Amino acid sequence: MNLRDLTLRARALFLPSRAERDLHDELQFHIERETRKLIDEGMSPEDARMKARARFGSVTLTADECRDERGTAFIDNTIGDLHYALRTFRRAPLASLTIVVTVAIGLGVVAVLFTVLNVLLFRTDSVPDVSEIYAVERPQQANEDLSKFTRQRFEALRSDTNVFTEAYAKVNNVDLRIDGRTMAVNLVSASFFRVVSVSPIMGRALSAADDDRAGGNPVLVLSDKGWQRRFNRDPNVIGRTVLVSGAPYEIVGVMPEGFRGLEVTAPDCWAPLARLGDFFPDVRGSEEKVGLEIVGRLKPGVSMESARAQLAAWDSNQSATTDRTMSIELLPHRGTVSQSESFEVIAVFTPLFFAFGLILLIGCANVANLLLARGVARQREIGIRLSIGASRARIVRQLLTESVLLALAAAGGGYLVSRLALETGVSWIMRTRPLDLGDVNLGVPAADWRVALFLVLAAIAATAFFALMPALQATRIEPVRTLRGELVKDARPGRARNVLIGVQVFASALLLICAAIFLRSAMSASEFNPGFRTADTLMIDAFNDSKRDAMLQALANDPTVTALAGVRPPLLALPPRAFGDAGAGKVALSYKYVSAGYFDVLGVPIVRGRAFTTAESDEHPVAIVSESVARTLWPNGDGVGKIFRIEPDLTAQQRSAFLTINPEAGAGEPPLTPRMVTVIGVSKDVAGFRVTDVREAGVFLPTTRDAPKTFLVARIQGDADLARQTLLERLTRIDPNMGMIMTLRTVARLETFFLKMAFGVSVILGGLALLLTVSGLFSVLSYLVEQRTREIGVRIALGASSQKVTQLMLAQTARPVLFGLVAGAGLAASLATLVLASEFGAMIAAIVHVTDPAAYLSSLVVIVVACLFAAWIPASRAARVDPMKTLRQE
Amino acid sequence: MAPRTPDLLPGTLDLLILRTLQKDALHGWAISERIQQVSEDVLQINQGSLYPALHRLEHQGWIEAEWKVSELGRRAKYYRLTTSGRKQLTIETREWDRMQNAISRVMQLA
Repeated sequence: MNLRDLTLRARALFLPSRAERDLHDELQFHIERETRKLIDEGMSPEDARMKARARFGSVTLTADECRDERGTAFIDNTIGDLHYALRTFRRAPLASLTIVVTVAIGLGVVAVLFTVLNVLLFRTDSVPDVSEIYAVERPQQANEDLSKFTRQRFEALRSDTNVFTEAYAKVNNVDLRIDGRTMAVNLVSASFFRVVSVSPIMGRALSAADDDRAGGNPVLVLSDKGWQRRFNRDPNVIGRTVLVSGAPYEIVGVMPEGFRGLEVTAPDCWAPLARLGDFFPDVRGSEEKVGLEIVGRLKPGVSMESARAQLAAWDSNQSATTDRTMSIELLPHRGTVSQSESFEVIAVFTPLFFAFGLILLIGCANVANLLLARGVARQREIGIRLSIGASRARIVRQLLTESVLLALAAAGGGYLVSRLALETGVSWIMRTRPLDLGDVNLGVPAADWRVALFLVLAAIAATAFFALMPALQATRIEPVRTLRGELVKDARPGRARNVLIGVQVFASALLLICAAIFLRSAMSASEFNPGFRTADTLMIDAFNDSKRDAMLQALANDPTVTALAGVRPPLLALPPRAFGDAGAGKVALSYKYVSAGYFDVLGVPIVRGRAFTTAESDEHPVAIVSESVARTLWPNGDGVGKIFRIEPDLTAQQRSAFLTINPEAGAGEPPLTPRMVTVIGVSKDVAGFRVTDVREAGVFLPTTRDAPKTFLVARIQGDADLARQTLLERLTRIDPNMGMIMTLRTVARLETFFLKMAFGVSVILGGLALLLTVSGLFSVLSYLVEQRTREIGVRIALGASSQKVTQLMLAQTARPVLFGLVAGAGLAASLATLVLASEFGAMIAAIVHVTDPAAYLSSLVVIVVACLFAAWIPASRAARVDPMKTLRQE
Repeated sequence: MAPRTPDLLPGTLDLLILRTLQKDALHGWAISERIQQVSEDVLQINQGSLYPALHRLEHQGWIEAEWKVSELGRRAKYYRLTTSGRKQLTIETREWDRMQNAISRVMQLA
């Protein structure tokens, strides 16, 4: 391509009328010159003109070929196609609008899912060369939690190995309560900021001195999110302080917007790892033993495999003292969920995509049905174009342009639908969530270019499949016959339509059955009795032992608190494992320490014997056992007054409330000292909450409310939520980093809450599906009635009763609807059987009744009624056909 | 109807046009007329391929066009050889000669 060529093309493109006129003049001149020559040879002017024309042949065709040489034909044609497509849309605006809106709704709901999936799986953090960053992990070994690295091992890794340019250690998602509001903190070694190599927009990052293991400095670096949420983007935020465990922490820097610190969601701030003790008072003094995660940036030129080998060799050298076989894995760490979690994400999202995709499928089936009907009308138009010389390729291109235009409009609409759905969904969850779950900050996930690409591709795929296919069918016609008015019916339009209706009913049935199952389960869950008194019971986190006395004092003086008891570990934490031995061998048990009043506050009856008194503290050799433990230990007796030996199960890993304490370090809660205890009472068995996978303990040992690390439960009077709020304010004044207060009612309602959420989503999807199905059914049947008016007229004239005609029309739809119902219910039932067979399914089966016959029946009835309604209107219109009128029209 | 024009070898039309334009600028009709005259009516250029060919050569930069008043007193598009067109003509002429020699040798000796 040269300059001249470019100017010519540009001229043709930007001055199309000039170029066209020139072309026309040039060809006309040729004919005129030829005419003149023929006249000069002695022909009459008329004959000469005719002969010259004939010699030249088709001017249009030649002009076309000249245009092709120009190289702008492609653009010219596209512009022409666009004009033509827009004109087609204008001619049938309702049909075009229906297509766009239907596909947009379907795309929108799928895009909602994709937006969330994108955040979890694809959206890497904006960090330079993020692909070089890997997390160092020790793979999970059988029956054990991921074993983590200690601070010392992290420092050794940094100094001894040579695979990372820099590595950092972190403790994620520390909830810090500041003045009654929660801030999410990531504790990181100072090297974090060198690994990410992102600079703060204000102030400075953490320095090596801030993270000095001998003490460090009380400083924080804010993320953009934390700066906005907590300080409202105050430009003078640098130098301000917040209190953490009574120590003033200075804000020294603010990180740029969009930087998430290699996590899925950004924390509010980063603090030096060396200050761990301020954030976890219960590990103060044993900070060095806390398990950490290590992330590093590979040196350029070091392959992942060789780095892994080198680290594994280093690690097994270091662990020579233990007999554990260590192996190391390097997993990409890019601000999306980790590799192992991404499998779970995919496992959760696959059925969701299927359910949401059904809406798109139903919408597309509607569109296809609409176009099948319109296809007949377009045969004529296409026939005309074919017969005046348009090539089939040209017409297919035209139809393709139309499809792409529709697809782009649908993609835009889908984007709006997805944003709207996400905004309303998130704000609905934020409004209805139980308040005592804490300061949950659920943001609306942002859409980025990946979401846009997904929408456009999905839209093109959807319209190509459902809009282009019928159109292509329409080009396979014989122009002469169409012009004569003989429309070629496609092979079996009736069958295609029936299949589409069947598919729609099938999808609606599936979704509505899900909705009904969730609703019924939510209803039965709200009646479930966990065995605790939930309406007026509060759980109070009081892990800051230095403030314990002041807090207890405040609680004792509070007029709303009528009873108070202590429990260790916290009420909803996993009770530690132990062995009990009443002379007949060891029996596995779980135990916890509870203070006097515990059974009273929770409303758990003591069936035999008595509860603890305030005089009984940690060292007293007494115990209360549950009915089932009593039955196991003493099959032939009531248990009270019996003596048994209890010793800790040292093979089980111990945990503190929040952190994994490395088992190698052997820190954590002091284990139970083996002892002989006398049973003073037997308590009723408690079912416990089904949302947490925690069973209530079987053995209760005495403690007091003021013992360290003991959590509190309180009975209150008056409105529980109000009491919770005022207590939280009062206690926060004593300890600004006060943990959460939660009503047990909220815990009991969580299950219902999640089921209701599942019901909400599935009923919206099911409702949409049914609406689309019903409207599709209605329009198809209306079209059929219109098409068969003559036949119906003849039938009526021959004596068919209007009842018979209505029946005929209804029978048309009965088969596909029935087929869809049976298939939908069948698939739902077989999925339910599959779910029940799986391990996970057995767990949820108690909560979600996947084979509830009432749910199946009610949703099927709803669909049948809706379909009857949709079919009845056109069918009764058919019955009112006036035979005289229809016959006269012919 | 005029006697059928024998099929030209592919690419020959371009060569004929370039050669015809070697001396002076001509419009499309004159080009086809000149070719017909010189070939003693053996070669009759089909207008349907002449004009696309002219436009193609123009795009390739071997000929350039100018609107001038013609012998009929109307404006007409005159084509003229460019410098690169002249070079192209030399190349194609040489190529043509080679081909012609080859063919005649085959015809005589094979």
